Amino acid sequence: MPFTEFWTWLEGLPLAEHIGFTWWFPFLESIHVLAIAFLVGSILMVDLRLLGVAALGYAASRLTREFIPWTWGAFCVAVVTGIGMFMTRAATYIEHPPFQIKLVLLLLAGLNMALFQFRTFRDIAEWDNAAVTPIAARVAGATSLLLWAGVVLAGRWIGHTI
Amino acid sequence: MRESLASALAESQAREAAVYLLGNVPGLPPIAQSLHILGIAVVMASIVMVDLKFLGLAVPSQNVSEMIRRLMPWTWWALLLNAVTGLLFVVARPHRYFFNPVVGWKFSMLVPAVALAFVVHRLSTREAGYWEQSSGRRLSARVIAAVSLVLWIGVVLAGRWIAYSDYLFFYE
Repeated sequence: MPFTEFWTWLEGLPLAEHIGFTWWFPFLESIHVLAIAFLVGSILMVDLRLLGVAALGYAASRLTREFIPWTWGAFCVAVVTGIGMFMTRAATYIEHPPFQIKLVLLLLAGLNMALFQFRTFRDIAEWDNAAVTPIAARVAGATSLLLWAGVVLAGRWIGHTI
Repeated sequence: MRESLASALAESQAREAAVYLLGNVPGLPPIAQSLHILGIAVVMASIVMVDLKFLGLAVPSQNVSEMIRRLMPWTWWALLLNAVTGLLFVVARPHRYFFNPVVGWKFSMLVPAVALAFVVHRLSTREAGYWEQSSGRRLSARVIAAVSLVLWIGVVLAGRWIAYSDYLFFYE
């Protein structure tokens, strides 16, 4: 694994040891779960609209715009608390397959979102209020749902295997 | 009463079934827990979103009565899913949960949170626009929403701490 010294150095930081040996770890973990539930909830609402399943009375662009700040806010909290837990055993986590899978799924979820934002979202005016959304929007919504469910599962898997 | 219920469960066939499933279906424990977390995500996307709307913090373009009608059924289905996925673990190890103080905290927040969600949904179903009709009702809605929000956050945090109760109560 590259940067082995870095991961080991990270684990040795006083902050990492403090988190690992005190109530900070479960505290961060509980905030992490709360943030992820909120994050996935807000994404779910947008994805179901893209799939043409729910909230059909609302314009897709408006719905997306109103939820995105919440999604990003929750994501930031999840990242900060996640890094806090990661640094307690960085060298172990980085080599742990479920952890690696979780990172790959997160990356794919990000790519899917970027692709949607820069390709499908550009001609949203044509289908913004339509109940039947274009196939590209439906694929983006379904992919996002599957990837985020995968992120949650991989995350829980880490807890059972490390 | 609690002891006899826990013992009855511990000796029941339901426990044998739960223990068998959790031990023999590959990946079932993390899968059931993930479904539990996804259920919580739906709670966040329904009743918690309604709370945030009542408080004037989220989704300015949506109407709160319409939100309640559209989103609250999701809350009840999600809570059913969470009851099933949660009970799987409780039935498998009843004493671990029945005598865990953190479980007590979780349910002392969950029961009022569910009751408030029921009141919000019920009154709005009986009378469309119920929560928007007078300044008194708008104020009660905001108070209920604030309490509900705090309770749901508490339920999720306590839920995660159940696994750490040994650490809280028997540390050193």
